[in-house]
Order: sequence, then C-alpha cells, then structure tokens
Amino acid sequence: MTARNGVQHLTGIGAAGQLVRYTLENGLRVVTAPASTGQVAAVNLWYGVGSRHEVPGRTGFAHLFEHLMFQGSGNVAKGEHFEEIERLGGDINASTSTDRTNYYETVPEHALDRVLWLEADRLATLRDGMTQEVLDNQRDVVKNERRQRYDNQPYGTALERILRLAYPEGHPYHHPTIGSMADLDAADLDYVKSFHKAHYGPDNCVLTVVSNLDPEDVRARVDKYFGHIPAREDVPEVPDAALPEPLGGPVRDQVAETVPAPGVFIGFRVPAYGERGFDVMHLASAVLGQGQGSRLYRALVVDRPIAADDGGSAADILPFRYTDSLLLVNMLAREGVDGDTLEAAVREEIAKLADGIGEEELERARAVLEREHLQSIAGPAGLADAISSCTQLFDDPELALTWPRRWEGITAEEVRAAAERLLVDGNLLVVRFDPAAGDQETAGA
Amino acid sequence: MSQTRPELGTPTSYTFPKPRRITVGGGTVVAVDVPGQHLVSLRLVHPFGGAVEPLDAMGVSALTSEVLEDGPGGGSSLAPALERYGAEWVSRVSWDGFITGLDAPAGRLGEAVGLFTDAVRRPALKPDDIVGRRSQLLERFWLEAASAGTLAMRSLGGQLFTGRYATPLAGGPVRLADITPETVAAFHAERIASVAGTLVVVGDLSRVDLVELGKTVFGDAAPAPEREISEPAPPPGELPRVLIVDRPGSVQSALVIAHRAPSRSQVDLPRAEGISEVFGGMFTSRLNLELRERLGYTYGAGSRFDLRRDSGVFFMSTQVEADTTAHSVTSSLEQAAELRDSGVTEEELAAVREANTVGLPVSYSTARSIAGALVDMVVHDLPDDHVDRVRAGYERLTKEALDSAAVEYLHPEEAVVVVVGDAGRLRGPLADTGVGPVEVRTPDELWS
Repeated sequence: MTARNGVQHLTGIGAAGQLVRYTLENGLRVVTAPASTGQVAAVNLWYGVGSRHEVPGRTGFAHLFEHLMFQGSGNVAKGEHFEEIERLGGDINASTSTDRTNYYETVPEHALDRVLWLEADRLATLRDGMTQEVLDNQRDVVKNERRQRYDNQPYGTALERILRLAYPEGHPYHHPTIGSMADLDAADLDYVKSFHKAHYGPDNCVLTVVSNLDPEDVRARVDKYFGHIPAREDVPEVPDAALPEPLGGPVRDQVAETVPAPGVFIGFRVPAYGERGFDVMHLASAVLGQGQGSRLYRALVVDRPIAADDGGSAADILPFRYTDSLLLVNMLAREGVDGDTLEAAVREEIAKLADGIGEEELERARAVLEREHLQSIAGPAGLADAISSCTQLFDDPELALTWPRRWEGITAEEVRAAAERLLVDGNLLVVRFDPAAGDQETAGA
Repeated sequence: MSQTRPELGTPTSYTFPKPRRITVGGGTVVAVDVPGQHLVSLRLVHPFGGAVEPLDAMGVSALTSEVLEDGPGGGSSLAPALERYGAEWVSRVSWDGFITGLDAPAGRLGEAVGLFTDAVRRPALKPDDIVGRRSQLLERFWLEAASAGTLAMRSLGGQLFTGRYATPLAGGPVRLADITPETVAAFHAERIASVAGTLVVVGDLSRVDLVELGKTVFGDAAPAPEREISEPAPPPGELPRVLIVDRPGSVQSALVIAHRAPSRSQVDLPRAEGISEVFGGMFTSRLNLELRERLGYTYGAGSRFDLRRDSGVFFMSTQVEADTTAHSVTSSLEQAAELRDSGVTEEELAAVREANTVGLPVSYSTARSIAGALVDMVVHDLPDDHVDRVRAGYERLTKEALDSAAVEYLHPEEAVVVVVGDAGRLRGPLADTGVGPVEVRTPDELWS
C-alpha cells in the first residue's frame, strides 16, 4: 500500500513524463528535467570511470584524478572553478566510487552557461592545465583525506578490509577507491594525462540539467559548449570483474587496535546492482537493519540490549553494477559486551531471515526504502544525480523517478528464499575489531 | 571549436517565500507552500534548549529528545510506527531550541501527525526506557569522541565558558548520569507538553489543512513563556593558550582554534558571516587555500560562527598530518592576524556579496532547507523577511565594512587552541611556537 502510495507521489513530483533525453553526435548523453523550486539549475555529470578501472600499482588514481579536475584546465586557472561557483552561492563537489566519477554544481539559473563552459573546458582541455606542482599538492591532500577518513578514524579501515575479503587479489573491486599511500606516491604526470585521454570523453559521460528552463534552450546551450569535443579515439579495456569462484566463507579478518568498543562488520556477496536479485536483497537489508522497526534494532538495541544505538542503520547494501554487490551489517558492542557475543547475536538474527518474513515487516521495509529514495530526489541536485546514475548505469533516466516500483512485486517469500540461499556461512565475511590490550580502560572511561 | 568563457546572464532577484502565519490556540503555524514538493517537512519548535538547563540537570533536553522516540507506547515504538507511513522522525536539541518533527509524504501527513502529536505531548516516559536511553547516550559519548574531530569540538566549551556551556550539550560523559526519570518527566511536563510552540510546515500544501494541523499539534497547550538572557562568564586562564587532548598514536591532529564572539542578536550578520566566509567559510577561503591548496597539510580547513542567544563562538577547525600540527596552528593564527591588518581584497568582497545574494535560490531549493531557515527565524525571534533583510545587508557590503568586521570579530590574541593528537609528539613543537602556555590532558580528565 505504501509503495503504491509512493508512486503516486513520484508522478506528482512534477518531473515524470517531462524528462527529455538525447545524445549528441560525439556520444554525450544529455537529460533535462524540471526543478520543483525556481531560479536554480543543477548540473550533474557522471563519467563511466571509477576505481574498477584501476590496475595494480595504481590504486586510488581515479579519485586522485577527480581532485585534479578542479586544479585548472586550458582556459581555467587552479582554483578558479571552485571560486566561480562559490561566488555564485552555488554548491559544487565531486565524488568517486568503484563504478563512476561524478561532478556536480547547483547554481542560480543565470549561471548555467558558465557552468557548462567550465565543465566542457576541463573535459576538453584538462591536460593543458596540468602541472607537477598541482599533482604533488593534491597527492598530499588525498593522503590527508585517507588519514582523516581511514587511518585516524576508529574502524576507519573496515571498508578496505571488507573489500579485501570479498573480492580476490587482482579483482577490480578488491581495493577501496581511496587507494594505498604507496600507489598515491607513485602517481606521475604522464599517467594523469593518459588517464584523462583514456576515460574522459563525451562518449563516456552523462550530463543532466535540472532547471525550469525550456529543454530546447538547455539543449542548444549544451550543444554549444560540448558539441565540438571529440569522442575518445580508443576505449580502454575494462579489467575483468567476473567472479568465477564463490566466496568460500566464512572468511574473516580479526583486528586488535585502538577502538572504543568491539565492532562487528559482516558482509555477503549479493547480485549486481540493477538485477532483480539486488532489489530483493535490498529489501532484506531493510528488514534486517534499516529503521528502528528493523529486526537488528529491535532485537539487539531495544530488547537485549547488547548493541550501541545506531538509530536503525545497521544494514546497508553497496551497489556495484559490474560485479556482485555487498550486503553489509555493522554493529558496535555495548559496554561490558564482548565481541563474540555480539557477533553471534548478529549472525543469529541474519540467519533467522530464512525462517520467514512477515508481510507487515516487508511493507515497513518498502516504506523505509521509498522514503529514502524520495528524500534523495527531493532537491534539484539529488534529482540530477539520480538521473545521471540511472542513465549511465542502466540507460534509463526514468528509473530515477520510478525506482520504488521495483520493490512492489517482490514477495516476502522471495526475500526469504533469497536470504536462505545467500545469507549463509559459505558466502559470509566478517571483519571484527576489538580494543587492543591496554586500550580498553581508556576507551570505556 | 572551443567556446570562450560566456558572460553570466542577468540574475533574477530572489525573494524568500513569504510564510503564512496562523495563530491556532496557544501556538502559531508558519507555513510555506512549495507546489510539487510532496515530501513535507514539519518542525515543531520549542524555544528552550540546552542553554537554560539548570546545572544539576545538564543533558535533560538531549535525553528527553531521545526518550520521545520511545513513543506513546514506550519501548522504542515511535519510529517503527512512523516508518509504516513512510514518515521519518526528526529531533534535534540545540543550545537555544528543542525541535521535533517529521518528513512525511503529503498524502499521509494527517495520519503521521496524529502519531507525532501523541509522541511529543503524551509520551510514555517509562523509567526503564529512560534509564536505558541514558546509558546508551553515555556510552555513545565515547563512541563518538573516539573520532578526533568530535573530541576536539566537545573539548572546546570548557575552554571558553563557565556554567552550562562548559559541559557538552548532551550532558556527557559525566553529568548526564545524574538525570533521573523524574527529572525527565518534570522537564517534559513543564517545557514541552504544556508549551504549544511554533509549527513550521513546508512542502506541497494544496491538500493540507493548516488550521486542523495546528489544532492537532497544539491542543490546549499554552504559549511559550519569555526567556531571560544573561551572558555566561569565561573561565580563568591566560590567552592565547594551547590545550592538547592526548590521543596517542594519532597520525593526524584535530585542531579547533576558537574565541568568544557576541551573541546572535548583537552581531551585524552580513559583516560577521561575511568576514568568516573570507577567512574560512568557503573552499576558496584563505584558510583552506593556505593549509590545503598551498601546503597540502589537510583534506580541508574552515571557520564559522556558532551564534547563540546569549553569547557566541568563532572557531576554525581542521585535521592535519601530525608533523605539520605546530605550523598549521601558527599559520592559521597568522592568517587571522593578516586579515585584521590588511583587510579583504575586492575579489573577496565581491565573492561574499554575490554568494549571499544571487546564490539564494540554491540555498533554498529544498523543503528541508526552507524549513531550516524558518526554524532559525523562530528560535531567534526573527521577522518573516529575515532572509531578504540579510540579503539586502550583503548587497550593501563595502570593503570598509568587511575590514572593520575583521577587526571587530576576529581575535587571534584571545584564542584557545585545542589540539587532539599524540601529546608525546606534539607538546615540544607546540611549546616552541610561543603561541601560549601548553597544557596536556587526557580525554577522561576533561569533564570529571
């Protein structure tokens, strides 16, 4: 019921049926959509390059490269891109994942041409603006990003460890997007330039503009700034992401270091993002650990209670398009609760999914995921990002609006059966953090 | 052929949507209609936050806010019930406000608001739930403070204030333990249940009856009483000074360099926020350009004001590679001194002026952000055209106005430098900077 209700809202956000999509001669895929508030233009570009394209010895490069895209191009000086957008009161940033790199700006409508020009300039001429000095500077910045997010953060290396267990050595998803310090040190200017040439072409990009401008007007502007940029001459080979072998679990990584409490991180390989099996497991993750009505929250935070209150965010799913995705569960122990106890309890709750799922809890799971989706597309920037994503990964921009329909036809029995098949020891990885000897007293004080 | 840089078009003048204001019983509904925005943001503002808590009940607001999630039935029953309506519970306690709310689909708003009202006005407040929430909050304090940046921010209050602000907002990690279920029940009865508050509603309101909504939420609760304002005193101690909070083995140091500032109503907002933006409020501000883009010491550095009803704080914060800590401190202080001495450039003036005028459609492009602005107006007693007045203030900004703001609002000579990092490695280099006396403490010594 909630799902149906939500779809009504989706058609009511004003964008359904109003998406306009076309492809320029150079291969650039363009989508326009209306915004729900006025005077604003959100521009979003998804390039089909991410850390899965990195080769051994070059980990972290796609992300380092994302930083370099802000460091000047043929007609734009270092720092100027940020400066221009901030001066307009705009929002600007970028991010890199395994499967893509996105760049986005939200600006007042009158600045749309300027943003398109800035984006087109770095796509067409980044190599002309790149210097050793900016590479050295941004390498230091990224190394500090790694320190801040991974190395100086309790449990900060969890994701890195999870990926290492989930995918075999040499597999393109074996390493995290941030890369290793040694590989970051090895990055050189020639490689920067060759990376741009290999991956940054209009034929590898989706450009979305959300605004209240006439789609024809937007089209003319996009054509003006991007139309002349040639497609790539060669399309690089993508490292093979096939997984011939099952996980061979349970596999585990036991870590003793300075953490404030034992931490349990559990993962399972599940179908790739975009497959129906992924949607089924997405619902399973919501039943298990999304929202305060979820099983893990009820059982381990409220009832027993042995896990720290995470507000109902114990489970999630990492959406990988080109290989198996990962269903992840993470909980931290309450004071006086040891890691083994928590781990056993979490695994027990996960295993119980195979015993059956109630209609009502599936409805709740759908409602939780649907609200999250609606929230993510409620602003122009989020809507533009979702459209770019669905176009780049699935060649279907409308999916950004209709995604919750995918959960409608999935039955409780289907989720149960998938859990019985996939959430098993043979497909299980565990990363366990425990406070190092001598640390416990300070941590609990 | 490559295009030359296009001129900017002519910006359209922006006006913040004029809210509808409806008095219903003892409360007021403040609403903005955003057609097509079917996820409605609803916020109930009670004008009392952590700042007015008595010193023997520090953290009672934060704990009460948590306990409301147990719902009218107790046992953490609220959120799951709301989740079925596709609604999300929102609650936040600040120094000056106690905010509860929902983000909910417009079509389900009525059902969700009934439940919301019961949760806020008639919660179960079971003693077992309260004791359970309290111990979760106490433990969460240290879980969160295991992050260097969080620990640095929480260490700051005691360096700048005596009284309530010396203890973190949630009362942790020590004083919160004194809050009993009776204290929570008394606080809730006096400050929340019996006070109507102000209801902010933003989204597609074409099918929403605002008067009915107000009647449901306010019931027979009374208007909010006036609050007395008095400025809290600073603690003793030489300024500037350095506090190292020891976090052995840290490969980065979290820095917060802060000093006291006037209260929200005392500052001239465009000048104060404007000079903060030049200094550290944007990516292209001086602090970030120096520490990140020139020196490569950090992933990011910034500054901002935390302006409260009775006082304020100006702070700059960053996390830097451990070996660059001392230089990062001196460099940040020098940047502030330089800005005071030499003032802003014409480019910086233009950036601040334009970002805060032509950029407003970006700032208010979601129901959440419009609701956030309205909540801010309610908490600080600001007029409905506050956003437009501030915009007009930015339009009038001159170089002289920002230069004088640098002198008026930036005071590196009165700064407290909080460093969370490896004391063994940092003490010598920080003492050598000559910034001021250096004290080392462990985290658990800070709030005993």
